[in-house]
Amino acid sequence: MTDTTATPKTATLSGSGLSAEPDPTPARRTWQAFRRNPLGVGSAIVLVLLGVVALCAPLIAPFPEGYGTDTSQPPSAAHWFGTDDVGQDVFAQVIWGTRVSITVGVSASALAIVIGLLVGVTAAYFKRLDAPLGVLIDLCLSLPVLPLMILVAALAGPSVRTLVIVIALFSWPEVARVVRSQALAIVPLPYIAAARVVGGSPLWIIRKHLLPGVVPVVGVSVVLTTSRAVLSEAGLAFLGLGDPNSWSWGTILHKAQLSGSLATAWWTTLFPSLAILVLVVAATLLSVAYNDARNHRR
Amino acid sequence: MRLKFIGVRLLRGLLTLWFAVTVTFFLVRLLPGDPVLAVADPNMTEELRAKLLADFGLDQPLMVQYLDYLRQLVQGNLGMSFRQSLPVTEVLMERLPWTLILTMSAMVATVVIGIPLGVLAATKARGWADRLIQIGGITAQSLFVPSVGIFLLYTLGVLLGWFPIGGAIDPDATGFAATLSMLHHLVLPCLSLVLIQLGSYVLTMRSTLMEALGDDYVALAKAKGVRPSAVVWKHAVRNALLPTTTIAGIQLGMLFGGAVLTETIYAYPGIGRAIYEAVGQMDFPVLQGAFVLLAAAVVAANLLTDIAYGFLDPRVRTA
Repeated sequence: MTDTTATPKTATLSGSGLSAEPDPTPARRTWQAFRRNPLGVGSAIVLVLLGVVALCAPLIAPFPEGYGTDTSQPPSAAHWFGTDDVGQDVFAQVIWGTRVSITVGVSASALAIVIGLLVGVTAAYFKRLDAPLGVLIDLCLSLPVLPLMILVAALAGPSVRTLVIVIALFSWPEVARVVRSQALAIVPLPYIAAARVVGGSPLWIIRKHLLPGVVPVVGVSVVLTTSRAVLSEAGLAFLGLGDPNSWSWGTILHKAQLSGSLATAWWTTLFPSLAILVLVVAATLLSVAYNDARNHRR
Repeated sequence: MRLKFIGVRLLRGLLTLWFAVTVTFFLVRLLPGDPVLAVADPNMTEELRAKLLADFGLDQPLMVQYLDYLRQLVQGNLGMSFRQSLPVTEVLMERLPWTLILTMSAMVATVVIGIPLGVLAATKARGWADRLIQIGGITAQSLFVPSVGIFLLYTLGVLLGWFPIGGAIDPDATGFAATLSMLHHLVLPCLSLVLIQLGSYVLTMRSTLMEALGDDYVALAKAKGVRPSAVVWKHAVRNALLPTTTIAGIQLGMLFGGAVLTETIYAYPGIGRAIYEAVGQMDFPVLQGAFVLLAAAVVAANLLTDIAYGFLDPRVRTA
């Protein structure tokens, strides 16, 4: 069993032009090319650091709550990022915000990728479903997503769970589109027909033969979808639809907007904004570097 | 042939719109957050509650409500606002011109700035200008709209005091002064939207133009001795522009999303600000109506770009 599945797997990758020789393995070649790109490695390190901050938030700063005595103080040695209008430490808010922003981003994109993979692969493999699913994907992609997310999030009541589901619900079509076009290139290949001839069930063929060919493409989407999900969460939270019991980068901006400190206290908005920027730029550069590494053209 | 082409696109646009309307209708009715609770206070008397529900048509079976909603929608009726005793259409139509002014001016400005930048990057490929434009383009695509808006508001509005930081017009101004005041208020929100959109236009223009510059007809034009600038602008750019037009359609959904956030920051009285206010007041008919209206605008704009594309590129018409 393992022999029959291993051979077509390499055939997938060379057949679809994704990579060349079976030796060294494509994944290792990609890694070797990626390692030599300082921009990609640097971005990966930044993202790992943000992940560490998210995990270790309680060790870095106390949870920001209640009222402090030093209100609207600019950055100082005591408060690195200054304090907001009720005297809370902005540094602590940003640190704890990292936790929620990344949790929501990662969970929403994981969910979106699962849905997108399912829909994309199903559309490509079952010819009869391709047209309706293709239309569905196009329809979802052409709608103005943010107003729709706002409507649903407002109805469902703001919470971390709502945000994850709402963002995933409207982010999967992007993934499905990419997966579908990649899978459509693989389905007509001879080894899929061969797998059918030997009597493989559709589920087995999709799992063992189709998915391995699609996964490298999804590798890029993981990072990009996550960063887009972080942006969506920040947008919803900025409009007041964030989880009321926790801090996210968007929530900090929302509070600054409500209290009017965005026109008076630059530190309340600059630092959460920088956090969002750093995460999204690192994610974008990482995906660019990954794509370059996967194209062994040089 | 041309009529059939337009007909197919029109049908697709209507399908999109129907889909948007249906999805939101059922989402609003089936989600846990009960819109009935939003209008009806739990402390209300039973008759008052029943009367309110009947007024909003919320006591009917779901399918009856749905068909009713579709029928009223065709007549241009989006229901009543829960909070302001006004039809949703009235609430939104008053706001629509501002959003259109903001988004359309942002789009025009983006194209006017973005296309020459893309051309510059493509013709100087691998040079320092190209590097700079590429890095800028990628960064611009990563920007968070409120961050950009707040940054511009703080630097150009508060610190330098060049532009007003809220509202859309000075209510006391009349005549030419009113127009001037309107433009003055437009600068910052418009600039925010331009900055976040510019990246994708520039990068697409760059890559399609670089592809076009490698084509045979460009080599031929060069061989004939056509001036280099004429080769780029008269031959290659005209072909590279076509794929760039489609971005305008794709970006429109994002542009409206950006407008919601930008209008919130600048207290700009458009649809986006209405959405923000409706979120605070749990005014679901306004949220639903605003989405339907924006979806309709996106569909209409996509239809226009599709038809424009068909006129510009005969190959699309027959396909």
